[in-house]
Amino acid sequence: MSSDSLLLLITLVVIAAAMLRHRDRKSEVDCIPEIEVAVRKAAELNRPAYFIPGSRDIDNIQTISALSMLKVVARYCAEYDVELIIPVSKSMVMERAREVCNAAYEEAGFSDRWSSSQVSYTTDDPLGFVAHVDGMIARAKPAVCFMFGFFAGESLLLAESSYNVAEVTIAGTAVPSQIPFFVASCDTTLIGEEFFAASAMLSGNQEDIAMLQGLDAGKQLAIGIILAVVVLSYLTLIFKPEMYESFLTIVDNLLHGGGR
Amino acid sequence: MKRNLAQVVLSTVALLIVLSAFLPDTDGGFSGIVKSADSYFPIWFSIIAVFAFVLGASSLIGSHVRKIKDRETDWQYSVVTVLSFAIVLIVGLAKLGGASGLEGDVSDPASVLGRIFSSVLSPLHATLFSLLAFYMASAAFRSFRIRSLETTVLLVSASIIIIGRLPFASKLFSFLPDALQWLRPDKLSLWMLLVPNTAGQRAVLITVSLGVIAVALKYILGMSRDMFGGQK
Amino acid sequence: MICVITSSSHFETWLAAFLTLAVFSFLYRDNPFYKFAEHLFVGVSAAYWMVLGFWSTLWPNAVVPLFPDAALVVGATPPAQRDLIILVPVILGLMMLLKMVPRYASWGNYTTAFIIGTTAGYSLVRYLRSDFIYQLGSIIKSVIPESANIGLPEVFNSIFILLATISALYYFLRIRTNKRSANFISRCGLLVLMTAFGVSFGSAVMGRVTLLVDRLYFLFSDWMGIL
Repeated sequence: MSSDSLLLLITLVVIAAAMLRHRDRKSEVDCIPEIEVAVRKAAELNRPAYFIPGSRDIDNIQTISALSMLKVVARYCAEYDVELIIPVSKSMVMERAREVCNAAYEEAGFSDRWSSSQVSYTTDDPLGFVAHVDGMIARAKPAVCFMFGFFAGESLLLAESSYNVAEVTIAGTAVPSQIPFFVASCDTTLIGEEFFAASAMLSGNQEDIAMLQGLDAGKQLAIGIILAVVVLSYLTLIFKPEMYESFLTIVDNLLHGGGR
Repeated sequence: MKRNLAQVVLSTVALLIVLSAFLPDTDGGFSGIVKSADSYFPIWFSIIAVFAFVLGASSLIGSHVRKIKDRETDWQYSVVTVLSFAIVLIVGLAKLGGASGLEGDVSDPASVLGRIFSSVLSPLHATLFSLLAFYMASAAFRSFRIRSLETTVLLVSASIIIIGRLPFASKLFSFLPDALQWLRPDKLSLWMLLVPNTAGQRAVLITVSLGVIAVALKYILGMSRDMFGGQK
Repeated sequence: MICVITSSSHFETWLAAFLTLAVFSFLYRDNPFYKFAEHLFVGVSAAYWMVLGFWSTLWPNAVVPLFPDAALVVGATPPAQRDLIILVPVILGLMMLLKMVPRYASWGNYTTAFIIGTTAGYSLVRYLRSDFIYQLGSIIKSVIPESANIGLPEVFNSIFILLATISALYYFLRIRTNKRSANFISRCGLLVLMTAFGVSFGSAVMGRVTLLVDRLYFLFSDWMGIL
């Protein structure tokens, strides 16, 4: 086993162990109350809510997380009797979104408020999808637009069109290049890891809270590794400068592939 | 029972892939089998995705045909969608207009499909992307009006990068004394790109990777309750 | 013949110009021209990707391995023997189609399980290795000295990157404790993130303006012939 695989395995074990040894813990992300408030606002205005689960297929983990968010949003929409429209750009996402919403409306006890036609496939072309969704949003004038998942260059096209008509726009993505556009144009943006964490917190399941434990353990591990290596490097440089070259080689092997 | 079996399928497939990352590259034995399964999966996914097109097409055409039938608002445009879909599907599957017929490349620029791409899809793609220039301006203007510390920082750093990339950026502020030359937009933008940007982007990438790992583990360990639901 | 090609190219240029203007018109408001372009875009692109999926993915990867002679249809050499392993994704694909039949819809769960399993497996390995370990390595290499001989600016930059990265990571550790109670370090972390996002935003502006200029050039040059 190579040395970078060793670090890989240690990280995996730390995160998995933290997830399996989870404790009941109350935690919160800023957007959680905002999602419910947004849906309530849509109910007051008697206007629909739009949920766009990214523009990638189900083989993208962000799409899967977006569908977890969808379940929570769908539950709120069922409770407040808000029409939820979900345009999608991939056939498999359409099927999954229908299943998720069906389960959410059933759990909320309002399965009569749900119809699978609320999820509609448009086209696999991300820009064709966005052109259509922009048009739909301009005509339907939803009260709230949720944009969660993987977005590429089309993120700002969606965010700006939504902002122009919707009362509230909430977005979340883990694509670093698209986060700035959502931050600039949406009312609330879940930045990177916040997006994954929020979907877990919103569900409120013990298993999902366990996931947060794993996330935190990973971050603590990252901070710990950075600080430890930096402190060790300076200590070596000060007290054993002749061993510094060997130290750098060990670090290189452990963190194989990291570039300056 | 069926749900449990589906979870077993999910976990087994995922564990095979994870295992293949730790196993040495060999042709035979368990390692070889795992590695070859690992190489099959991406192709398998794309094959399944093509099958799924049937679901998408039936939803798309179904919803537009219903609109036309019920004479809903703007039903005329649904005719455009249905007709264009049918025409492109026929000319594309038959590879019409290409020099070598069915034996030719499906994306041959001389074929009808190729010409549809260059005269319809290509300009639509380019124009939609070019709209971003306007949208960026309006988003920036709005952020400026919000005036929170965070959006101000975002806009100021964006402005420095834009000014720093202008051809005359080095001439601006050239009056500054040598000790303050680092404040020149071209130098400042380069520093921002290499230092705070590096730190911020890497922190985002590390935390995003942790998020992805945790979500993936959640599904592999069978800790997701909403995995296999029914459908109405 | 030349005349036909010229008039056909002429038509294509006019069509492209019309679609360009139709999309631009959306900047003002929704209108019939945009609606036409949008619906045409959906119909054409949906079918286009399906055709590509059929000829570029399904035919060579599923039909030809199962029926080698099918390779002759596209002018390729047939494989020596059938590859029956391809039956697995074909069956999974057909099971997915059963989702259209309510009685057998649950069979599609196996396909979903397979897809999410592969996604989870690949994402886990890729993000762990390429992002987590790689980025960690990059940060560490940016902040530890290459040798004992380093200048003051390098030391300053190294310390800045270290503090900025730690504070940004700390921001993500604190997000679940509500921003109102966020402390100084996590606030600094948020500002670091905003600076990085500003850099991305600023870098993207130039590219998008170039695209806009490109479209305007098409209208004024290729279509109107003014330039």
